[in-house]
Amino acid sequence: MSGVPRPRLAALALAVGLVLADSSIVVLALPEIYRELDTSVAGVTWVLISFNLVMALAAVPAALLARRVGPGRTAAVGLAVFAGAGLACGLADQLSTLIVARCVQALGGAAAVTAALELLPATVGSERRATAVWASAGATGAALGPAVGGVLTELVSWQSIFLIQFPIALIAAVPILAVARHEAATGIVSAELRRTGRPHVLANLALAMVSAAIAAALFLLVLLLIEGWRMTPIGAAIVVSAMPLFAILASRFDSFVPSARARAAAGAILIAGGLAGLALLPKAEIVLTLPPQALIGVGLSLVLSALTETALGGRAPQAIHGGWTISARHAGVVIGLLALTPIFTSDIAEQRQDAIDAGTAVILDSRASPLVKIELAQRINEQLEGEQGRVPTIAPAFEPLPEDPAEREAVVGLREELQDQLDRGATHAFSPSFLLGALLALLALIPIGLARRVEL
Amino acid sequence: MSAADGRRGQILVLGSIVAALVLVGVYLAAGGASYTPEKSQDPCQDRPWSDPQGLGEIANQFSNSALDGAACELGVTRETLARALATPEARERFNERYGIDDEKLAEAIRAGLLRAIEDAEEAGALSPFIAGPARGVIEEIPLDRAIELTRDASSLLGGVGGYLGPAGELLEGLLP
Repeated sequence: MSGVPRPRLAALALAVGLVLADSSIVVLALPEIYRELDTSVAGVTWVLISFNLVMALAAVPAALLARRVGPGRTAAVGLAVFAGAGLACGLADQLSTLIVARCVQALGGAAAVTAALELLPATVGSERRATAVWASAGATGAALGPAVGGVLTELVSWQSIFLIQFPIALIAAVPILAVARHEAATGIVSAELRRTGRPHVLANLALAMVSAAIAAALFLLVLLLIEGWRMTPIGAAIVVSAMPLFAILASRFDSFVPSARARAAAGAILIAGGLAGLALLPKAEIVLTLPPQALIGVGLSLVLSALTETALGGRAPQAIHGGWTISARHAGVVIGLLALTPIFTSDIAEQRQDAIDAGTAVILDSRASPLVKIELAQRINEQLEGEQGRVPTIAPAFEPLPEDPAEREAVVGLREELQDQLDRGATHAFSPSFLLGALLALLALIPIGLARRVEL
Repeated sequence: MSAADGRRGQILVLGSIVAALVLVGVYLAAGGASYTPEKSQDPCQDRPWSDPQGLGEIANQFSNSALDGAACELGVTRETLARALATPEARERFNERYGIDDEKLAEAIRAGLLRAIEDAEEAGALSPFIAGPARGVIEEIPLDRAIELTRDASSLLGGVGGYLGPAGELLEGLLP
C-alpha cells in the first residue's frame, strides 16, 4: 500500500471502528445506568435500541448525502455531530436526555461510517480493499466495544464511555478535514456519481436476522453475568471477550472455504447452537459459557463476512450498499432487542419469585434450630428487599456464622442450598430468550438457502 | 468454484451441525433442561412427616403443616404465606395483594393449625386422646387472638413461631 495517505486511512478506520463499537459499547454499562438513572430493564434497553434504530434508518440516506455533498464533508460533519452528542450522553442525568443524545449520536455516526466507505477506495486504491478495511475496522470496533465499555464503567463510570469518545472522534476528524476543505474549495465530489443498483435483499435480510441473534447473545449474556451471577463489569467484560476472540481466530480461516453461502449457513447454525447451549446451561459456572461463546464467535465471523461480501460484491456504489448492510445489521439488533426484552423481563421476575420461594422452602424445611431460622429469615428478608429486583447476593445474610460446629455446618448447608436456588432461577430466566435468539439465527437459513436459487 | 471448494463448503456446514448438536446434547445430558428452581409444593397436598424426635422437631413439622393448611385455604404457596407473616408490613402488603383482610387471614391460620393437629395425629406424633381436646382449644381461639399471634412476628419465621408458640406450648402441655 505504498503511497496510501496513512493518517487518513487510520482516521477512517478509527471513525468506522468507533461508531460501530458504539452499538455495543454500552452493553456492559446498562446495569449501572439502570440503577443510577432509576429506570427499568425495558427502559434502559432503549439506550441501545435508540442508537441502533437511528443507525438503521439513517445509513442509506447518509450514504446518499455523502455522494451528493461530498464524503469528506459528510464524514467530518458526521464525526463532529457524533462527538458533540457523545458529550451530551456523558453529561445526561435523565434517561430521556440520554436516549435523545444517543439518537443524535447515531445520526452523526451513520454519516461518518457510510461516507468513510466512499472515501476509502481513493485512500487505499481499490474498492475491494476499501470494503475489506471498512468491514474489518467495523468488526474490530464491534468486537472490542463491550470489553472497553465494561472496563471504563468499572474503573471510571458509565459516563466516561461517552466522554472519551469526544476527543477520539475529533482526532479521527482532523485528517478528513483536508478532504472536506478540498471539496469545499473545488466543489469536486471525489466519487463519480453512478446509478444506484438494487440492494441484495436476501443477504441483507439474513444479515438482519443474524444480527438480531448476535445482539441477543451479547446483551443477554452480559445481563446474565452481571445481574444474574453478580459479576463486576470488568469480570463480565473479560468473560464476554471470549466471543470476539473466537471470531478473530476464526476469521483467519475464512479463505479456506470460498463458498459464501456455505460460510453463511455454517455461521448461522453455529450461532443457533451456541445460543441453544446458553439456554441449556447445566450450572451457573462461567466456564460453561465458553463452549457456546466459541460457537457464536466462530459463527459470527463466518456469517458476517460471508453476507457482507455477498451484499457488497459487484455492486456499486459501495457506500450505498454499505449503507444497506449497516441498515440491515442495526435493524436486526433493534428487532432482537424489541422481541427479547419483554420476554426476558417477565421471565426474570417470575424466575426470581420461584427462586425466592425455593429459598424460603429450603429454610422452612431445614433442621436448623427455630432461633437460627428466625434470625436468618429476618436477615435474608432485608437482603432481598435491599436488592431492588436484582438477584440478591445471599452470603452477607449468613454472616457471622454460628460458633457451634453443628449449627455452623447446618447454616453453611442452608446458605449453599439457598444460593443454588437463586442461581438456578437467574440462569433459567434467560433460557427462553436465548432460545428465541437461536430461532432467529436458524431463520436466517431461509434467505441464505433462497439465495442459492435466486441471485438478486 | 471447483468441486473441491464445494466439498469443503459441505464439510463446513456438516461440521457446524455436528458441533451445535454435540454442545446441545452434552448440556442436556448434564441437566441443562432441569436447572431450574425447585417448584413450590401444592400446599393442599399432604406433606409427609419424617420421624419426629423431640418437641423441637415436632414443632418444626407442626409449623410447616399449619402453614400448608393456611396457605391452602388462601390459595397461595406456603412460602409466600411464611414471608407474609414475617413482619406486620409484609402482612399488610400480602393482604393488599391478595385482597383479603385480617379476619380471613386469621380464619385461614386457624384452619392451618387444625390441619397440623390432624397431620401430627396421623404421623403418630400426637395421641388421639390429646388431638381431640387440642382441636377444641384451637377452634376456640378468637379471631383477634389469631391475628395477635401473627402480629407478634418480627421476622419470617418469627411469624411462624409467633403462632406456633402457643401451639407449641399447647403441645408441650398435652404431650406426655
